[in-house]
Amino acid sequence: MLNPLRSEQEAFRFLLYVLAVAVVIVGAVLLVRAL
Amino acid sequence: MESASVAHAEHHHGPPAANVSSRVEAQVLGMLLFIISEVMLFGAFFTAYFFIRVVADSGWFPLDDKELPKLVAGVNTAVLISSSFTMHWALEGARRGNRRAMQVGLLTTAMLGLTFLSVQINEYVHIGFAPSDNAQGTIFYGLTGLHGAHVFVGLTLLTFATTRAFRGHFTPKEHRGVEVPGIYWHFVDVMWIVVYSTVYLL
Repeated sequence: MLNPLRSEQEAFRFLLYVLAVAVVIVGAVLLVRAL
Repeated sequence: MESASVAHAEHHHGPPAANVSSRVEAQVLGMLLFIISEVMLFGAFFTAYFFIRVVADSGWFPLDDKELPKLVAGVNTAVLISSSFTMHWALEGARRGNRRAMQVGLLTTAMLGLTFLSVQINEYVHIGFAPSDNAQGTIFYGLTGLHGAHVFVGLTLLTFATTRAFRGHFTPKEHRGVEVPGIYWHFVDVMWIVVYSTVYLL
């Protein structure tokens, strides 16, 4: 299981996941608002 | 028989010493408690933010003809995220014994962090409203300022790490002085992604 506190590598991977999730959520919300 | 008993002693899984937890290392536990307290701190500010926007329905920017600079903040977000990549590069350099990569990576990370902070201060100067103007202004400055303070702390840690890297303090086996600021720096970036998404974009 991913633990961002265990190492910098895992923290970096966690950051990439958060970035991907944020892009999807913001994209979806902006798309719904535009419709 | 004797070698078997030595091997058994080396792989002993009995109860730990009285002052040591058998489950969590002290450093990890310390970092865990710190991050939890940080999440609660940001959570308090986000609660105020969502109260204004959702519960009180007071509206958000644009407000009184004042708009948040989404584009500039977006470029600044890219600057901060790229600093996480250079931080990761520095750590990879430290792990592989590539001293030059570690030094350049740390220095670049610090420069990018400094750029982010400078742009944010410039944003405050030109944004056209003050924290005392309204509740929205208060929470905008509160959230972005709280994050900015964390960037400042991260920059301080990076300054120590960079100085030590140039003095040849780290080895492929012992580089905790880069690892811990790295974890903290990625945490600061994660928080900014959440702040930028909610405050500026949504």
